[in-house]
Amino acid sequence: MASVDIVNVKKSFDRAEILRGVSVAIEDGEFVVLVGPSGCGKSTLLRMIAGLETITAGEIRIGDQVVNDLAPRDRDVAMVFQNYALYPHMTVADNMAFSLKLRGVARPEIETRVQRAAEILGLTGYLKRRPKQLSGGQRQRVAMGRAIVRDPRVFLFDEPLSNLDAKLRVAMRSEIKELHQRLKTTMIYVTHDQIEAMTMADRIVVMREGSVEQIGGPLELYDTPADLFVAGFIGSPAMNMLKGTLELGGRTGFSAENGVFVPLAPSPALEGLAGRPLVIGIRPEHLRIVGDGEDGFAVGAKIVEPTGSETQVTATAGDAEIIALFRERQTIRQGDTLRLAPVHYHLFDAKSTERCASIGIDHGA
Amino acid sequence: MKKNILHETLFYLVVIFISLMVLFPFLWMLSSSFKTQTDIIAWPPKLIFTPTLQNYEKVFGEQDFLKYFINSTVVGGLAVGLSLVLGLPAAYSISRFTQRKLALFILLARLMPGISFLMPWYIIFSRLNLMDTYVALVLSHMLIALPIVVWIMSSYFNSIPVELEESAMVDGATRQYAFWAIILPMSGPGIITSVTLSFIFSWNNFMFSQVLSMEKTRTLPIAVYNFVSYAEVDWGGVMAAAVAIMAPAIILTMIFQKFVVKGLTMGAVKG
Repeated sequence: MASVDIVNVKKSFDRAEILRGVSVAIEDGEFVVLVGPSGCGKSTLLRMIAGLETITAGEIRIGDQVVNDLAPRDRDVAMVFQNYALYPHMTVADNMAFSLKLRGVARPEIETRVQRAAEILGLTGYLKRRPKQLSGGQRQRVAMGRAIVRDPRVFLFDEPLSNLDAKLRVAMRSEIKELHQRLKTTMIYVTHDQIEAMTMADRIVVMREGSVEQIGGPLELYDTPADLFVAGFIGSPAMNMLKGTLELGGRTGFSAENGVFVPLAPSPALEGLAGRPLVIGIRPEHLRIVGDGEDGFAVGAKIVEPTGSETQVTATAGDAEIIALFRERQTIRQGDTLRLAPVHYHLFDAKSTERCASIGIDHGA
Repeated sequence: MKKNILHETLFYLVVIFISLMVLFPFLWMLSSSFKTQTDIIAWPPKLIFTPTLQNYEKVFGEQDFLKYFINSTVVGGLAVGLSLVLGLPAAYSISRFTQRKLALFILLARLMPGISFLMPWYIIFSRLNLMDTYVALVLSHMLIALPIVVWIMSSYFNSIPVELEESAMVDGATRQYAFWAIILPMSGPGIITSVTLSFIFSWNNFMFSQVLSMEKTRTLPIAVYNFVSYAEVDWGGVMAAAVAIMAPAIILTMIFQKFVVKGLTMGAVKG
């Protein structure tokens, strides 16, 4: 077990800059998820930690050791690849034993460790099989088994669940989380799926175009996104966003460019924000339906999707599409006009995209 | 339904036509090898004749056929073996470090007419006193085998996910060990393809041994040539020797054709 320190790490391929100075301090035993759209450099960063990519500038430390120039085999990390990378000509047991044999671990010890990993992962009956004879989920487990027999300082996961079907993905998600709780080894996990990031991580690192946008706990990112990118990336369905200006004095509200006026309750936090170009961000679950007497803005319901536990309504407000999510049962039909009001909302600077205010967000404190 | 039958008939007609075009010389050779000299040069060609084995008796009796056979096997085997030793790591490096220019250069060596190498070789090998030795022939035949091994194997390695070695390297292997323990054991079909093809090309090569070998190291194709003399051409002997030479190549191809097709199309289609 070890901490991982990534200090101002840069990576360029020829002239293309993939990472533009990334710093993340990962504590011993932490489960950190690197998340971002494809091409943001998250996989490159993970591969640099593994030693599979060179480091153009900066420093990566595992424990107290600078590993910049260390070969992958000397870093004592284990990695689970997206395509599992199981050795097709070896049995499941041999796949798991490969690294131990290389390290010259004694045969009985290898057998015990493989057996123990197989028990943890429910692979005991499959040890003699070849990867070809396994299902996707089982292969995924073998890949994890190969990592855990080693008892490495750090586990690295590169989108390990993206080749599985939706149901299996959810199951494996909890299994990996459980594994982390059991082993308490530092884990760094790369995914483009924000749900995976939210559900598994102790801390999430949101990346975009080679830079870190925000680092924080899942709920911290959800409640107080640093900027428009994080706000739009975290949360599903995504946050509704409207460009416009804040109007104070007289009638308080957000006057969107498309003509929609969102009435807002006056708040001291809004002082000084009036007049400049802003973006209002409202999460779908933070919209409620209001009666005729109350303040709200009118939208036309376009698509109504009840899932039983909740109802998702896609509506139009001016030329913008607004998605609202209701926990209560609703009898909305397509074409209905609704009046909505935000319970919570964020305001972002339209130019810098940074968040300037969050209103009505209860941090649970 | 009717259209389907028409389609199929047409399809098979075309297939039969092409097969006949390709197979005709071979069938002609095969039938001639069982004919007497008179039957061979008869006009119009005799389709029905009394087969004779005298040509084969001549090939295996009078000619030193076994010696040539051993020579061809030794030269082909060594050339292919050494080409694997050099070519497999080369192909791996070309594949993993995307050395396209190098690969093209190697292909160029293959595309250049072999005869352009012969003159310098002749001079070099005679100065080194290597004329009529296996060394000279094996080296020259490696010019045939090595590019085939490199080309087939580099596209084969391209089809093996790079994560396999990366995983092995994270697991504690050096790149060399990962190549040896992970990549090579998976490369059976590619290796079989390149061995089959390069061995056949070496086996069929006439020019290099015609120039570089004399009495001791002559290979099989020269045996055919021995039936051509100043005074006359012993067509029956030529044909019988040719059949005897082709037989191993054809048998090899038939045994390994599944791999050869797979190996040659590797990397062309993903999956």
